[in-house]
Amino acid sequence: MLLNAVIIILREVLEAALIISVFLALSQLLNRKLGWMLVALIIGFSGAYLYAVNLSAISMAMEGTGQEVLNAVLHSVIFLSLLIFMITVPHQAHPMWRRINLVTIVLAVITAIVREGSEIILYIKGFIGIPDLLSPVLMGSAVGAGIGLSVGVFFYYLLVNMRKSHGIWLGYLILLLIGGSMVAQAVEFMIQADYIAATTPVWDSSHFISERSAVGQLLYALVGYEATPAPQQAAAYFSSILMLVVAAGISFMFRRKSS
Amino acid sequence: MVMAGPPIIEIEIKDHLFYPDEVRIPADTKVKLLVKNLDPTAEEFESYELNREKVIAGNSEAIIFIGPLSAGEYPFFGEFFPKTAQGKVIAE
Repeated sequence: MLLNAVIIILREVLEAALIISVFLALSQLLNRKLGWMLVALIIGFSGAYLYAVNLSAISMAMEGTGQEVLNAVLHSVIFLSLLIFMITVPHQAHPMWRRINLVTIVLAVITAIVREGSEIILYIKGFIGIPDLLSPVLMGSAVGAGIGLSVGVFFYYLLVNMRKSHGIWLGYLILLLIGGSMVAQAVEFMIQADYIAATTPVWDSSHFISERSAVGQLLYALVGYEATPAPQQAAAYFSSILMLVVAAGISFMFRRKSS
Repeated sequence: MVMAGPPIIEIEIKDHLFYPDEVRIPADTKVKLLVKNLDPTAEEFESYELNREKVIAGNSEAIIFIGPLSAGEYPFFGEFFPKTAQGKVIAE
């Protein structure tokens, strides 16, 4: 039970911690104040709690596809936040763009906490009535959360302590991969809810790197690895990354011309 | 015109076990799984092979569409209680 709790919580925390740490580091590199983080944490965990306690009702909404639709929306919100974040970064001199930029950071962090936090709350809440299991689960959860947060802290210091331009580029690169993963997951939920027709996987790399393996799990958290993705998922992954690159590139060129 | 929906297959979760733990479905056909969680604890229906994950609160139920699948075995498990909650879909 203990080891299982470690793995479950680690998986959830890792994804959120990665998004949060990269944004924290980029905020630091872009000379932003970090007070927004506290607000985002409070709103995020309140949202996660509301999602968790209303899960049954949400699941049965929209003919039983409410959970998939909400998750797809949450993943899409994170992607859109990343997109607008990347577009607004080169225009930090302009107060309005600077403000929009901050809003996108806060929104992405809140949404990531709602998405991953709700599952953590649901998981732990189930054990409250079972005293024998509650303490190993809490202990395992603490260890899992600790490891996940450590990875986040590692990425934060890695980015902040690099040469500033390198840190920003690596941060951007991680955000691109997160963006692709978010859209691919949104598509996966739409397939699960039968809004997008399911087809045979475009490739099967499960014999090479299984999603069950530690490497597979880590790759899933870092780059959204899927061993058997649907063609629509793979297309969504690569085209959303391309979209982020093109949008960020155009915005960057625009800044050079105008200044 | 009356359209027949996809066949519905019921799975129950009780004491962190799936009943039935082997679900036979026709190959190349879309199927609607109705998963009833009779335990007070939440469970997450998860399958890497089916690309599915859905959290089901305690004492509630959830709908998950799977397929069309080519013939073969597709394991699934309960992520919150993976030691006992194991099952597979057999498309044939």
